[in-house]
Amino acid sequence: MISRAATLLVVVAVIGFLPNLSESLRFDLQSGHTKCIAEDIKSNSMTVGNYHVQNPNENTPLPDSHKLTVRVTSSYGNSYHYAEHVESGQYAFTAAESGDYMACFWLPDHSPAITATVDFEWKTGVAAKDWGNVAKKGQIDVMELELKKLLDTVNSIHEEMFYLRDREEEMQELNRTTNSRMFWLGFLSLFVCLSVAGLQFWHLKNFFERKKLL
Amino acid sequence: MDGKSCRRLQSANLCLTFSFLLHFATLSASALSITVNKEECVSETVLFPGDTVSGNFVVIDHDIFWTPQHTGIRFTITSPVGNQVLDVKGTSGHKFEFKAPRSGAYKFCFYNPVAAPEIVSFYIHTGHIPHQHDKATDEHFNPVNVRIAELREALHSVTAEQKYLKAREVRHRFTNESTRNRVIFYTLMEYVLLAIASGLQVVYIRRLFGKSIAYNRI
Repeated sequence: MISRAATLLVVVAVIGFLPNLSESLRFDLQSGHTKCIAEDIKSNSMTVGNYHVQNPNENTPLPDSHKLTVRVTSSYGNSYHYAEHVESGQYAFTAAESGDYMACFWLPDHSPAITATVDFEWKTGVAAKDWGNVAKKGQIDVMELELKKLLDTVNSIHEEMFYLRDREEEMQELNRTTNSRMFWLGFLSLFVCLSVAGLQFWHLKNFFERKKLL
Repeated sequence: MDGKSCRRLQSANLCLTFSFLLHFATLSASALSITVNKEECVSETVLFPGDTVSGNFVVIDHDIFWTPQHTGIRFTITSPVGNQVLDVKGTSGHKFEFKAPRSGAYKFCFYNPVAAPEIVSFYIHTGHIPHQHDKATDEHFNPVNVRIAELREALHSVTAEQKYLKAREVRHRFTNESTRNRVIFYTLMEYVLLAIASGLQVVYIRRLFGKSIAYNRI
């Protein structure tokens, strides 16, 4: 009975952990081209990303033409991660400012243009938290860990709702001021038009009277 | 003896469920934005057949001069064997959800028909709910885990909706700010141009009647 459980455990562990290696976002990168992927991150939230170039030939090491350059910058221009001519790497940082963070990948020029496949994963917020550590530190039950994760997700959803609500309020204010400005500018338009026409008329009348034509 | 074996079994059960759940903890969900110049493709791997792939995308256009000929971008989803799962043309945003019949790499492509690059914000999520009939788990399977997985999937769908709304709100914001700029600055420029035009009119009429009439009057 124990050995059956053990084999079951081994089977599940193998199935459970093996596919993790192959699962992530994948895109193609041509030599000499840059591809940038951006993500909107709020301040003081943890973010983790990792990338690696797929080896076209399993037996030989990755050729230099397939090594890419990576740079992760914030919307204000601060660089949070930079790696040159690497096959794979990862970065983790806590976002100091909220905004769009951009990860740009660049492949150096090569005479027959090659296309490299890059596996990329970028996790923010709840997904970026190291749950393995949390489980180890607190010595907590598996189910409790899962429920903790769900609680964190729900909290982040709640915070996001607040953010959306604030933005909607700002936008409503913006629309309202635009509307009132259009109202006043309508009257101003009419006034400007009539005054310009009136000035024209008055000036030409004087001019012709001076010239003794009228 | 019985107690010891029971405890070992219990820990095996725990390890089993832990490894099982830890695997599903890392199922992918990414919300990113890319610049689409002509064609941009992204692929994501679906691990189990029968998984639900859901997602959405919104085109965040700064340049809102879309002509009647070009109403948006084209979005396609291709299965690992090559047949089209979805093909929408001329959209500025779309939400999709489908059950993947087979596992493998699904390709999500955006095509931009015009030269101006567009920024697309997309979110793709592949979710798996372990079923009671899974071969890998036999006796030590807790139905609560199924419920937890379903709850997690429901929360992911809420998150997906939120990201869609947030992206649409960003685009709406651009439109509103552009409207405000047009209302203020273009109107003021309009007044200035009106004044200049009428000034030029006056100058022209003056010149027309200025010297020649006086000359003819002699």
